[in-house]
Amino acid sequence: MRVRAYGEWTFNGLKARREEILRRLAELREQPQDRIAWDLTRIADLDDAGALWLARALRGAQQVEVSPQHGEILAHVGRGLRVSDVLARPVDPLLAVVATGEAAMRFGVHLRDATALLGQIVLDAAALVRRPRDVPLREFSAGMFRAGVTALPVTMLVGFLVGIVLTYLSALQLKRYGADLLVINIVGVGVVRELGPMLASIIAAGRSGSAITAQLGVMRVTEEIEALAVMGVSVTTRLVLPKVLALAIALPLVAFCTDLAALAGAMLVSRFTLGIAPAAFLEALPRAVEVVNFWIGIGKSAAFGFAVAFVACHYGLRVLPNTESLAAGVTRSVVAAITCVIILDAIFAILLRNVG
Amino acid sequence: MSAEAGEHAIEIDGLWNTVGAGQVLHRNLDLHVRRDEVMTLVGGSGSGKTQLLRVILGLKRPVAGSVRVFGVSWDDPGFKKVRDARRRMGMLFQNGALFSALTVFDNVAFPLRERGGLSEKKIRAIVHAKLSQVELDPQHGNLLPANLSGGMVKRVALARALALAPDLLVLDEPTAGLDPDRSERFVQLIKRLRADHRFAVLMVTHDLDTLYELADRVAVLGDQHIIACGTLEEVQHLPHPFVRNFFGGDRGRRALAQGEAAA
Repeated sequence: MRVRAYGEWTFNGLKARREEILRRLAELREQPQDRIAWDLTRIADLDDAGALWLARALRGAQQVEVSPQHGEILAHVGRGLRVSDVLARPVDPLLAVVATGEAAMRFGVHLRDATALLGQIVLDAAALVRRPRDVPLREFSAGMFRAGVTALPVTMLVGFLVGIVLTYLSALQLKRYGADLLVINIVGVGVVRELGPMLASIIAAGRSGSAITAQLGVMRVTEEIEALAVMGVSVTTRLVLPKVLALAIALPLVAFCTDLAALAGAMLVSRFTLGIAPAAFLEALPRAVEVVNFWIGIGKSAAFGFAVAFVACHYGLRVLPNTESLAAGVTRSVVAAITCVIILDAIFAILLRNVG
Repeated sequence: MSAEAGEHAIEIDGLWNTVGAGQVLHRNLDLHVRRDEVMTLVGGSGSGKTQLLRVILGLKRPVAGSVRVFGVSWDDPGFKKVRDARRRMGMLFQNGALFSALTVFDNVAFPLRERGGLSEKKIRAIVHAKLSQVELDPQHGNLLPANLSGGMVKRVALARALALAPDLLVLDEPTAGLDPDRSERFVQLIKRLRADHRFAVLMVTHDLDTLYELADRVAVLGDQHIIACGTLEEVQHLPHPFVRNFFGGDRGRRALAQGEAAA
């Protein structure tokens, strides 16, 4: 049987009679290929789409006549088809096991590198105690300003709104049992010990953590980190340590302001839903919330600040020189920082269960 | 001359280096760069030139072997000795690697401030001298790297690399990304600076014009080690496929003719 193809074998040319041509080619594939002689010399124009259809039909064909200008594209596409056939392996039944193993290995590498970074921070901090002249004060104060002062409006607003919501919901329940005044205990302890530090650190993870990872990541992409290292400047001393210390010191202050805003919100709602005057609220607050709760909240905030900045630096220094890695690094950094904060909070909750 | 001739700026002996999952990149590699020469490292794509530079700069630890810059290994315990060796070395990264948050002035001033012991007045004077050496005006000092052209980025990076008057300058593809005219001007600038300051140079380049213009000796990296190291005349006629293709192609012959005409 002699099969002759002619006309425009291009994406646009084939569009009109797509169904018919595909059907005819499928019929030809059913025939024994050694009995078909292909004449492709009359094809006027051939592009990748047309060549792909033809190459599929020509598999195993013995007699093919093709004009020289189309021979090369047909050969390339035929080779591409064979390569994709070889590469298309069946799904590995152990894929889940392999993926779990790889994930565990990646986690192990993260843990190893994070431990090394933590060790380096400790060594650098010890070296700075011996050489106080090298303390990167400018970077530290810039970090304090960025993570602390500029974060205040958003954290205080969120704190204020959370204070309102929490008090309103608590007031609705407490009113039923006539335990109106307990709202100060519930909201006071909840805000000062838990919500203030948590809100501040979650917002810090989203704001400062992502910014730190992106900054270090871009510095890695543009080889600025390598340039620092070549000049003999310790990357941890210059970039990591000031950020970690700045956030560990700034976050308790931010959490304190968040506490104030949340309590202000609580006071406002107490006034209008339960009729508790602000003066009465302020008078009852120190009795309802022991001062140790405040110090627990502040101490936790410092630990959360350290964790957020440390995780952000860890991910920032791992960014590879491509945009995909930078975006993934920032996302992972924020998620890991928030997860770390929640894990640390759970540990603190267990350790300090009998305090306050 | 800042360093006594005859000694080596860089000594690499028996270097083994791997990438990825243990794939050997350098096998028992030796390379010695004298203190008074321009050594050019050439090799095919993927031969490990950049990785070798990273090892020399102390950005990557080799699996085995010894790497010494001015007689100091980056793993030496003496902090001061290693720091001093680093200060004798300037690096020009392929894309400049300028600190994007700092102005041109602060970029050039950075190594001087890190060194310590210099007043701001002295630092200002040195920075302006360095900017002038690389043919930039003092008012360029206020610009951020994002506002500079490719050629200016290279010149600022060169000024920063020269800030501490190094005895060794490492250049990674110094003319990559520059048009032929700027490339030629940049090569002439390096040549002039070297004539004035006599620092040693280790340069990685694919550009034959730059190579013929600057190189005293050429080291060819291939088959995981230095397959040849010597003057251009000694190296370019070696019967190795890479050397034959690199120097024997049309571009190679043209650059050679131009280099000889210039000489």
